[in-house]
Amino acid sequence: MIEVDRVGQVYLTKTREIWAIGDVSATIDKGEFVSIVGPSGCGKSTLLNIIAGFIAPTTGEVRVHGVQVERQIPAGLGYIFQKDTVLPWYRVRDNIALGLRYRGARAQDINAKVESLLALGNLQGFGDVYPYQLSGGMRRRVALLMTLACDPSILLLDEPFGALDTHTKTLLHRELIDIWRKMGQTIVLVTHNLDEAVTLSDRVLVLSSAPSRVILDHRVDIPHPRDVFTVRETEAFAHHFQTIWRVLGEQFKQGKVEELLTPEQVE
Amino acid sequence: MTATHLSNDDWTTRIRDVARSARNERIRVLVWQVSLLLILLAIWEFGTRIPWLAKNVNVFDPFFVSQPSRVAAKLYEWIFGAKAGMLWPHLFSTLGSTFVGLIVAVATGFAVGMLFSQHRRLANVLSPFIVALNSLPRIAFVPLITMIFGLGMASKVVTAWFIVFFLVFFNTFKGALSIERELLDFCRTLGANERQITWTVRIPNALSWTFAALPNAVSFSLIGVVLSEFVGSTTGMGYLIIVALSTLNSAEMFAALTVLSVVGVTLVMLFRMLEQRLLRWSPEFREQ
Repeated sequence: MIEVDRVGQVYLTKTREIWAIGDVSATIDKGEFVSIVGPSGCGKSTLLNIIAGFIAPTTGEVRVHGVQVERQIPAGLGYIFQKDTVLPWYRVRDNIALGLRYRGARAQDINAKVESLLALGNLQGFGDVYPYQLSGGMRRRVALLMTLACDPSILLLDEPFGALDTHTKTLLHRELIDIWRKMGQTIVLVTHNLDEAVTLSDRVLVLSSAPSRVILDHRVDIPHPRDVFTVRETEAFAHHFQTIWRVLGEQFKQGKVEELLTPEQVE
Repeated sequence: MTATHLSNDDWTTRIRDVARSARNERIRVLVWQVSLLLILLAIWEFGTRIPWLAKNVNVFDPFFVSQPSRVAAKLYEWIFGAKAGMLWPHLFSTLGSTFVGLIVAVATGFAVGMLFSQHRRLANVLSPFIVALNSLPRIAFVPLITMIFGLGMASKVVTAWFIVFFLVFFNTFKGALSIERELLDFCRTLGANERQITWTVRIPNALSWTFAALPNAVSFSLIGVVLSEFVGSTTGMGYLIIVALSTLNSAEMFAALTVLSVVGVTLVMLFRMLEQRLLRWSPEFREQ
């Protein structure tokens, strides 16, 4: 369980302070798949960074499994970045084994686990190639397998499919849903793609523009198993999409270009 | 006809054609290179044989620039002829110093680059000193180095180190700083402690930048050694050149220069191959 309790986050620039996150509270239950959407600059990636313990919130606190997160990565937490984080100097096999090596697993356990993960990610036969020899979609799968090797109970995904084409993206959606149904992790997905959020998640949180609050907590009650290809054609999908879009689109409309700048760009 | 209508045999033929045209291109480039070399040698050889040119234009005066045929005769004399065996000790002395200087410079440049990237205050305090040291003309220090380290190998190695160190240091430092925060955080979520991050992420990342500097580093190391041999030494290719110069023997000087340029090209090619081998995982470096 993840509890986000009245979290606020301020960025200091040379001239002023910018509250990216105003006051966000949310509770995410064990095994739930929750998506967070919102206009650019609303601090949704920052929120994920705070849950992971990479940065400390300015105000409020986050508890994971009841324990307050303080600049320390909670146990059993996996994180997929938007950027490619596969280590280019290791072969695919050694990348997937990395987390197990860090934890000091035995060599034969590592080999067995890597083989089963390669199969899980449909990457049999690619164990001994270097990452540059893979396509973008395959590298994303390797990053996911690197995380899954550590058996995370919580998966934080920060726009993990942002840079992919629709075809590859949808195939990866299907794999993610399969993995989630098989292993039952708690998943928090940050995305700018409402299609993706509705297709995948049980719940969609909409953040307002900065300083952000949760302005909609919408349950997507389309039953599982969902077929990622056909679910988009259903009336239920259209209904959920429209309900959320009505709120989200309003935020997009209000956005000024200045507010769309990221803190780095302002500096 | 579209691609889907091609039979397997057609495809085999096409692949073979592509391979052949790549090979043909390499041969064409080689032919151009050899032709250019021959043209330059011909201008040198025959230009210096035209009496008017040799008398009025200094760069065609064989007293200054010798002649390819005389240089070739001198090289033959050094390798097979009357003075057979006199070249090798000098060449090996230069090569030995070049390698030792290179290894010491790469090791120290890498270590200091890594250290500075991890200790930002140290880097901030020392960087003006490093920049100042790096912008001084190296040649001004060579006599001093020779006085301190003597006429032997030590001063050659120190001179080579003095030039190569900065190249390796700056490359490594820049590379170590270029590492992305996401990569480090990602490995931390996989359970890495700081020591594991250093060995599996920071060092391989910085090494790739160090290796990329190797072909240039070996050239500079050779230059440093020869420079040191000019100023004060009793062996080496630089010593041969300076002796030839002082006895106004241009054929000997160009013979030594020819050996040096062959050695230089060979070393750079070898180190490019080594770099590609070490960085075989990195498409960016491979394509350079």
